[in-house]
Amino acid sequence: MPQSSALVQRAKAGDRAAFSALVEAHYDYIFRIAAKWTGRRSDAEDIAQEVCIKLATAIRSFDGRSAFTSWLYRVTLNMVRDMQRANGRRDRTIDAFTIVHPEDDPGSQEDSAAAKELWKAVGALPEKQREAIMLVYGEDMNHAEAASIMGCKEATVSWHIHEAKKTLRGLL
Amino acid sequence: MTDDKMTDDALTSLRTLDVAAPSAEARKIALNAAMAAFDAAQPKAAARGGWLRNWKLSAGLGVPLGTAVAALVLLPLGTQLYTATSHRPDGVPPKPETVVSTTTTQMADKPVVTSTAKTDALTLQDEEGGDADLTPLATEAAPTTASPKLKMSGVVPAPVAEPAMDSAVRSIAAAPPTGGNMGAVGLAAPAESMPLNVVPYQASDDNFAKFDENRLKITAEEPVSTFSIDVDTASYSYVRSVLKDGYLPDPNAVRIEEMINYFPYDYPAPDSAATPFKATMAVLPTPWNAKTRLVEIGIKGYVPPATARAPQNLTFLIDTSGSMDEPNKLPLLKRAFGLLVDTLQPTDTVSIVTYAGSAGVALKPTPAKDRATILSAIDQMAAEGSTDGVDGIALAYRVNAEAKGQGTTNRVILATDGDFNVGIDTPDELKTFITKERDQGISLSVLGFGRGNLDDALMQALAQNGNGNASYIDSYAEARKVLVEEGGSNLVTIAKDVKIQVEFNPSQVSEYRLIGYETRALNREDFNNDAVDAGEIGAGHTVTAIYEITPAGSGAELNDPLRYSAPNADAQTPMNDELGFLKIRYKAPDGDTSKLIETPIAQALAVASLDAAGSDQRFAAAVAAFGQKLRSSSYGAEMSFADIAALANGAKGADADGYRAEFVQLVKLAAGLVPATPEPAPAQ
Repeated sequence: MPQSSALVQRAKAGDRAAFSALVEAHYDYIFRIAAKWTGRRSDAEDIAQEVCIKLATAIRSFDGRSAFTSWLYRVTLNMVRDMQRANGRRDRTIDAFTIVHPEDDPGSQEDSAAAKELWKAVGALPEKQREAIMLVYGEDMNHAEAASIMGCKEATVSWHIHEAKKTLRGLL
Repeated sequence: MTDDKMTDDALTSLRTLDVAAPSAEARKIALNAAMAAFDAAQPKAAARGGWLRNWKLSAGLGVPLGTAVAALVLLPLGTQLYTATSHRPDGVPPKPETVVSTTTTQMADKPVVTSTAKTDALTLQDEEGGDADLTPLATEAAPTTASPKLKMSGVVPAPVAEPAMDSAVRSIAAAPPTGGNMGAVGLAAPAESMPLNVVPYQASDDNFAKFDENRLKITAEEPVSTFSIDVDTASYSYVRSVLKDGYLPDPNAVRIEEMINYFPYDYPAPDSAATPFKATMAVLPTPWNAKTRLVEIGIKGYVPPATARAPQNLTFLIDTSGSMDEPNKLPLLKRAFGLLVDTLQPTDTVSIVTYAGSAGVALKPTPAKDRATILSAIDQMAAEGSTDGVDGIALAYRVNAEAKGQGTTNRVILATDGDFNVGIDTPDELKTFITKERDQGISLSVLGFGRGNLDDALMQALAQNGNGNASYIDSYAEARKVLVEEGGSNLVTIAKDVKIQVEFNPSQVSEYRLIGYETRALNREDFNNDAVDAGEIGAGHTVTAIYEITPAGSGAELNDPLRYSAPNADAQTPMNDELGFLKIRYKAPDGDTSKLIETPIAQALAVASLDAAGSDQRFAAAVAAFGQKLRSSSYGAEMSFADIAALANGAKGADADGYRAEFVQLVKLAAGLVPATPEPAPAQ
């Protein structure tokens, strides 16, 4: 995503074309995050759309302290959370985390089953731990990056990871 | 370590999970929606009035207006967020500020495009300098904003025929559809469809351990009843606050002994510290059953003269997570603290540890005479961040240990509204930790605040393991009661591991039942086992236990006599003048071996009518009856709320603080909440 920062600046200033290009360039990124977190194409599309709409105004509050993509990740993740909570799925995260959703995945059964198990285990973790695991392992971020997205200290991420692994150990 | 490696490897495979590609269609719609929102957000957008039309055309859907009508529920972003972020304790999701569009049209198998008719309503104003957190937006924009909700492939609320438009719109707004769609659908369905005349049990995220009511015991088979004493009162305040909100409490939240023990009773106190408490017994007719009787055992702790109190070393461990930022939580706690500080003696020390994003010492151990420092530290506490204190509790104990002095009473007081995310994450580890610290002479009390997230069972378990009390604080008056009026008794333990054992005399009592104390039951053999932990009593505490007994030969027995086991032909002396025998075991606060107090429950204590019983006894009986009703107990159902209120009202006694009068009001409140279904059949 080249020249993101210039685009962001122009979009912030109200440049329609710049905003359009920015959203265009990042839609797939947003969708991918949403899909990864919800496991359902239809949910991911809803979320991606909400994020796009949200960006129209939220872009002005982007202050450049973190990378645009990190910031965008956070916006998207918040939207995922909100949607899931609004849907009353907070307590049924396993549901929300069936990435191998029948709607979407006709694919290889064996891989799917293993992935499903993993998702189930990860999905059953407390929210913060789950997020930390997803960011660090699912997105291959380091703890500092994950911390900037989760809005907490790096040490807290490490702690969540530690706690989560303690739970997962033996389950996997 | 190999385990760790395996976990790592498995987790790494998360990375390889692939996700589906977005559809071009969804992408296009999202981008167009974003542009529409962008235009609307620009202060000087030229085509402001016309953006909706432009957008629709440019969306390229080519659906002419008026071909078909779809009423879609447009859910403002704010509503979702409100719903998502507020865990309402009452189980009723907030009413969404639903906006329904009637202007747009849709073919059934094509993407649905909807929007609000009020184009200029789309002024999503973001907070200044905000981060990605969307919550402030919600409050600001909720009433006026409708975010265009574009449905792609999911369940679309059923299209309605044109003539029915208006009413359909209304009905959709009032009773949300039940589809499984993301976001807009299904939010408010459960509550809105609930009949108005049924008051639901209070359902929330508050977590209560389930327990079954003590069952009726046959004296001949099981003459001995053993339980741990306890002076927790959290259940009553919780029940009160739920009832005042117009809901019935979860039956598992109703612990009758905590309700009874909430009230002060005027039992005579022991004369000296040598016997730390004194038992007052009474036998009276059961208000809800003419054939049975209540045996009430009231215990009052010794009240040391004020000057003899050991200096206290108090460490407050305070949850300052974001959720504490509600009027009935941190601000309430701060106000109550001011009161507490006033009652401390100059030799006491106070320290404060807070935990939220991180744990920190807000106030180093400070002598109570330095009031200004303490008060300003209290003032500066603010609720912020998530509850993530990595080692809040360890820090609190460390700070407390530093301030330990010669003969001080050491206590950590945890104030929180929810999960005890204090750094030790499994309840068992936490309990072990607290137990260990207790043995080092630092005890723990827990103050619960707010509702919706309270882990009652854990709160109770922690306080029990830490030799402390759990109290639930729902109002300023309650804060005052717990921290100030009972401050002395909650803080100064005069006896620990107090166990009660009652042996009933089968020749006099054919059946008996302990009311409440389900969660404190002990095995018969635990009574003499000093290693078994039990409850504590603080200075001046009163504890009341009530048994419902069936006098032998009264004909009120629920169990038929056995055919083959002949009545125990008076092998021993029947001791007909005794109903039973009360034994109390306790340890001195710093002692390891227990002492025993024994006294018979004399037949002569019995009074013939309720009126002849003392007001304390009658009042306690009324509270027990109320608790049973709230628990939908199989006992006492035949006593109406009005009867309970009348009994309590006539037993208010001096009631200097108005607690009993409040109870009477509460009973009346509950009477109005219980659906007017036929009362269950009497237990008889």
